[in-house]
Amino acid sequence: MPGPERSLNDFAPPGAALRVYLLGTLPFDSFLAFQRRLVYEISGDPQLASLVICDHPPEITIGREGSRLHIRPTPEQLAAQEWRVRWVARGGGVMLHLPGQVCAYPILPLAGLQMTPAQYRDVLLESAADALRQHKLEPTVDAERPGLRIGDRRVAHAGLAIRSGVTGFGLVVNVCPDLELFEAVACDGEPRPMTSLERESPLRIRPAAVRLDLADAIARRFGFTRQSVFHTHTIFHANAASR
Amino acid sequence: MPILLPELGVEVGRFSLWYVRPGEAVTAGDRVAEILIPGLTIDVAAPADGVLRERLALPGDVVHSGQSLGLIEPPADP
Repeated sequence: MPGPERSLNDFAPPGAALRVYLLGTLPFDSFLAFQRRLVYEISGDPQLASLVICDHPPEITIGREGSRLHIRPTPEQLAAQEWRVRWVARGGGVMLHLPGQVCAYPILPLAGLQMTPAQYRDVLLESAADALRQHKLEPTVDAERPGLRIGDRRVAHAGLAIRSGVTGFGLVVNVCPDLELFEAVACDGEPRPMTSLERESPLRIRPAAVRLDLADAIARRFGFTRQSVFHTHTIFHANAASR
Repeated sequence: MPILLPELGVEVGRFSLWYVRPGEAVTAGDRVAEILIPGLTIDVAAPADGVLRERLALPGDVVHSGQSLGLIEPPADP
């Protein structure tokens, strides 16, 4: 089985397009509903492939490898901060979602890409590393607790799932969040302080540029030669109309 | 019929949980179990219609690709 060093552009079928949803700030509930919709669509038509790029209001999610022990505030303190805690069916541990992060959630048909689950995870992490290199950074992949480090500090986490042969959840990259807030949460059980692109890069960091760099890197690594970019989806209009 | 763990791309994974209990009916393609490798959960689908007869893997077990996780008994002919 080829590894992630396999040459670029040979996973997706020739000419395949990646639908990229650049959505801005999206409540986690809305993201979950949107993800369910995309997984349903793609499980019925493996020619489709999507990537959701967004960020979330403050919230904590706990994956299968996480523990409530990694969250230091008491339930009362979390309620006072309006930080909801949610258990989610994905790999990875605890993630603190904050403004100033960029989340990249590929919704891809794994069989159509002819990839194993581990290969998908590794190629996705290499995609994120590619995007960070655009900002004069040299990240390293943390294979034990999948994510990216700059020096000894984590800058990105991966929490992934494969359901009905379709990938879900994805990466969270610290672009310019308030790093002090991570003192309350040991993301992925990491005892060392977190870092961000803003802290590490010699360049001026713009979240909008990081979003596009991530989309480009993921499309390139997975072999999508075309991107169709959307800034909304009918599911959000339907939800707004029903309120 | 055995429920076989598909190719993971790593030597071993860890059995995470069952979504069905022994004796419950399943349809081919139903999600019946979940496997965990670092950073990633993978759902395992029922290979055929029938009833889950036996669980051969349990949460926390180390599992490898191709291993039988459980057994499905086909529905009896009417």
